Amino acid sequence: MLSIALPKGRLGDKVYKLFADHGYPCAAMEQDDRRLVLRDEASGVQYLLVKPSDVAIYVEHGAADVGVVGKDVLLEGGNDVYELLDLGFGACNMCVAARVGFRENFSAPLRVATKYPNIAKQYYANNSREIEIIKLNGSIELAPILGLSDVIVDIVETGATLKQNHLEVTHTILPISARLIANKASMRFQAAAIQPLLTALTTQPMEGKNS
Amino acid sequence: MEPLNLTNKDQLTGKLRSLYESLGYTRFSMRRFEEYALYLENKSFLKSDSVLAFSNPDGMLMALKPDVTLSIAKHARPERDALEKVYYKESVYRLAPTAREFVEIEQMGVEALGAIDGYTIAEIIRLAIETLRAVGKDYVLDISHMGFASGLLEAAGLDAGQQEALLPFIRQRNAHELAKEIARQHVPADYAQRIAQLAGLSGTFPETLARASALVVSPGMEQVLAELRALYELLDTLGLAGCLQLDFSMLNDQSYYNGVVFQGYVAGAPRVVLSGGRYDLLMRRFGKQGDAIGFALYLDELTYMLAEPSQWDADVLALYRAEDDVAALNAAVFELAAQGLRVFATSNPPRDFRAPTTMAFDGRTFREVT
Repeated sequence: MLSIALPKGRLGDKVYKLFADHGYPCAAMEQDDRRLVLRDEASGVQYLLVKPSDVAIYVEHGAADVGVVGKDVLLEGGNDVYELLDLGFGACNMCVAARVGFRENFSAPLRVATKYPNIAKQYYANNSREIEIIKLNGSIELAPILGLSDVIVDIVETGATLKQNHLEVTHTILPISARLIANKASMRFQAAAIQPLLTALTTQPMEGKNS
Repeated sequence: MEPLNLTNKDQLTGKLRSLYESLGYTRFSMRRFEEYALYLENKSFLKSDSVLAFSNPDGMLMALKPDVTLSIAKHARPERDALEKVYYKESVYRLAPTAREFVEIEQMGVEALGAIDGYTIAEIIRLAIETLRAVGKDYVLDISHMGFASGLLEAAGLDAGQQEALLPFIRQRNAHELAKEIARQHVPADYAQRIAQLAGLSGTFPETLARASALVVSPGMEQVLAELRALYELLDTLGLAGCLQLDFSMLNDQSYYNGVVFQGYVAGAPRVVLSGGRYDLLMRRFGKQGDAIGFALYLDELTYMLAEPSQWDADVLALYRAEDDVAALNAAVFELAAQGLRVFATSNPPRDFRAPTTMAFDGRTFREVT
């Protein structure tokens, strides 16, 4: 039985649909079920519904064989897993944003508000820029408005939230999307189950179904 | 060696110790600490780069050892024709993978240093296989060779910085981002196609060798494949090839490792449990003429696999009364224990104590109570 960790919520629903269309349906997932572990004997899979930021942890520790996770979470966590496919959904960018017209003062450390301290540290270290990290858990856009920080490092999908808060993207760090990841030991001992999944996901949906 | 039905770590380490000793490997014991500079200068050789440092009474910065191989290589005999075979079972101090906290980890390993030949390489790899077999019955040994990927990257004319940019994606088997990075580094088209395939170049030995031979661009790479093919055929002749996989996405640090490298996995443990390879370059750093190959078994990764899941606190709960004769009681308890049972004797059993059998003392012997 192949264990697949999916992020709870909108991304997870989309990913499940993709998997179901490629031959890995699970009847219990179709119902509005509150269970967190859903099995389907016929497809030979077990779906685990976990918090998006925990998917890579389940996979790294082998509690799930494979999982789907945003590249932002994966980079921030630095988990030791294989990254096998870019599924393309949830495409957005990890960006640096600041108030419209912001001019950076290079004589002082840059104050960076973010949910992603590791990504921000890495990015500025590569640019040899001294920064002060302000770790926030939400409403990051508020930080530059209130003068809590000079810039923010966050994911930007359409830019609408930035615009409404009079912020703009100053640099794009890297593109983000959903990735299929796999546990390293599972790639050895469950290869017979993981390889067909990979093949299915990289080919067209099964006949008679829509993706 | 027969597969072991393992119950605990002591049994495993005991078994491995006699295996290594039976092949002439002698125990290497080391101090708990070394000079901090040793680890600072060889940071990228270490599994994690945090080292627990302290200053000694002379003001010299010391470190609790995070690794044993560095010390063994440092103390190895300098001449080319010496051959030393050692094994160790030592505690190392590292950051726990899951928390920002130092932990003491038990590690066992084998190293051969000096005049390394084809026989010695095969002996070490066979020992790695036997070690995995002692841990669990379902295991895989992934083999790779440092010269293959680096041969290709060098032939493409990539400098060290460009190579460093590509390596993480090869290690993650991340073909989609590897392709993007190849484009960003302006790799010549005929090489780009080949390098892009490194991320997926793993699987059963003969099939992966065949795919790899399509990527060869230099005599050096051809030689690497010939060496791997010979190794596979040798282990196949010995009946040991069943657990082997070839995995070119496995790349150790290029400044220490050269030649054959390998990693072991055991079903039930989610991460690598054994890791090793040829590290002549580390020997050169210490000014040694000889070559070296060895591996380490990460006993900490096996902890949860080897833990004895027992639902009982003892086999027998042996009850007596406070007024019973101690001499008779003592004789009866030891007699029960001599039968190979785990006996917990008490007049006042702890709450929640669980034993499949409860016995009571009748003044002379223990009788089962129901």
